[in-house]
Amino acid sequence: MFTYNELMTENKHLNKIRRFYHTHKRMPSYREIMALTGLKSLNSVFRLIQKMISLNLVSKDAKGKIIPGKSFYEIPLLGLVEAGFPSPSEEELVDTMTLDEYLINNKEATYMLKVTGDSMIEAGIMPGDIALVERGVDARNGDIVIARIDGEWTIKYLRKKGNKVFLEAANKDYKPIFPKDHLEIAAIVKAVIRKY
Amino acid sequence: MENRALTLYSFPKAIIHIDGDAFFASCEQSRNPRLQGKPVITGKERGIASSLSYEAKARGVKRGMRISEIKKVCPEAILLPSDYETYSLLSKKLYSIVKRFTPEVEEYGIDECFADLTGLRRPLRMSYEKISHEIKKSLDSELGFTFSLGLGPNKVIAKIASKWKKPSGFTVIPGRHIHLYLEKLPLEKVWGIGPQTSAYLNKQGMETALDFARKDEEWVKKHLSKPFYQIWQELNGKFIFNLETKEKHNYQTIQKVKTFTPPSNEMSFVFSQLSKNIENACIKARRHKLGAKGIVIFLRTQDFKDYGIEVNFSSLTHFPNEIIKIIKPAFNQIFNKKLLYRSTGAVLLKLKEYNIVQPDIFGSSLTVEKMEKLYQSIDEINRKYGKHTVFLGSSFWANKFSQHLGEHGDIPKRKIDLLKGETARKRLGIPRFMGNVI
Repeated sequence: MFTYNELMTENKHLNKIRRFYHTHKRMPSYREIMALTGLKSLNSVFRLIQKMISLNLVSKDAKGKIIPGKSFYEIPLLGLVEAGFPSPSEEELVDTMTLDEYLINNKEATYMLKVTGDSMIEAGIMPGDIALVERGVDARNGDIVIARIDGEWTIKYLRKKGNKVFLEAANKDYKPIFPKDHLEIAAIVKAVIRKY
Repeated sequence: MENRALTLYSFPKAIIHIDGDAFFASCEQSRNPRLQGKPVITGKERGIASSLSYEAKARGVKRGMRISEIKKVCPEAILLPSDYETYSLLSKKLYSIVKRFTPEVEEYGIDECFADLTGLRRPLRMSYEKISHEIKKSLDSELGFTFSLGLGPNKVIAKIASKWKKPSGFTVIPGRHIHLYLEKLPLEKVWGIGPQTSAYLNKQGMETALDFARKDEEWVKKHLSKPFYQIWQELNGKFIFNLETKEKHNYQTIQKVKTFTPPSNEMSFVFSQLSKNIENACIKARRHKLGAKGIVIFLRTQDFKDYGIEVNFSSLTHFPNEIIKIIKPAFNQIFNKKLLYRSTGAVLLKLKEYNIVQPDIFGSSLTVEKMEKLYQSIDEINRKYGKHTVFLGSSFWANKFSQHLGEHGDIPKRKIDLLKGETARKRLGIPRFMGNVI
């Protein structure tokens, strides 16, 4: 038996898989299910599929690929639990996100810092602003990055021209910085917060 | 014969152990560019080195060294107060990243964990070695400092592997290669074998972990207790020790110890420190729905001598006001006005699941029920407004002053330099880069 909450999330997952099936005319792969449902590992996807197989929602073909099961199109099995139907507002709120989810892409890789200088003022980044930055992603031309220069953090645009890589401020008073040997980029700015 | 493998199976189970390299010091270095490449030491508030950067280790500083000694060995050392809030946030990141790959993660310590990768080769379409490598890559790049990872067929071997090369080690020990690693490994380097046991085994003519692993099974079973027989089995490639992947709720004991500076011989102050520790221990006990049947309280003097005493309770409890009433006479017994104390500690013992309402003929269950309600409210208030918003009068002096007076800079910078909207009690739960950002 599954708990009410488990069934509710499973229904959510099932709906996403159904939608995928409608648009793509095929079932999603494990990796695609992971992306669809927001599950954190393939192992969890595997367990979700096992559960769905046991409920006849999906099944596997001879090659082990996932195909729609007998009950793939049936109404959710809410009747199984004597908890009544979910209130309509709850259903409506399923597709909303919190401010955290909106601002943060990869929670584990996210850090914050307080901007102290005015070098990015023309990009709308003021002294005192809080920047949310992400580690472990490759910086591309035009990204606002946090780099380490002479034992200090610096916040600048990353510019790539031909073979040259340099940092550019958004303030006429600052000159571009051309690194001597290599440029150490610690993180990429993903959002800036200002509280009044 | 001596080159014979201990087992023919490479990975009947695939277990990894991950260990942060100089975790606390690395947390500090990764968030502050001024600290990178320098000898950084945390633990300033306690007066002893608790974590050392590799630069500090290279200069001969050791864990547990006192500040005065550190200044002699390495005058350029940068001493920092511990910022456990930040270390804990990074620790959570460590666990979450590993959990992207497998749900079976044992959160073994603030800077280390075990994980079970068995059966993931097909769904992830990678070898165990490749999965492990991907985990290490994610950790190093997303946390901004390095981790050492060991892969083996069980926990004991995985632990040997993660220690094999540090920092930033990546060591894979398949079952059939175990003997190559045990050959030169001293016995006391094996997880779970202490100085007592290794001394005993030395007397029996075993020097290395391999000597022990090759000892015949009957002898091991006859002369050693079960945990050592289990270690022996794991050294031989079997999988014995399961991973504790559930959140721990069945603690045997709960311990809270806090150092304060400067040392004090003022009775009411030292007692308030102890009282606060007991409150903290009880908060944890209530969170896990446990009650204690006894307690050990201890006082540590300035010159690191401990004075302790055990007190038993007549019934299970997790209310600090009850416990403090009971231990007061015991405290008076061990407290000596002529000594200076530097820390106090409390260990709740004989913990059991706490169920209220066991009516007894004296009607005390009614009181218990009232207390339970009272503490539910207190816990709720403290959750909302910050720890120790409501506390016992006996903890007053410990709450009135910060834990460490004296030298400036004993409080982590993160707690002083607040962002707009943060308070001394509550801060944003995201680790912060420190220093100027220009």
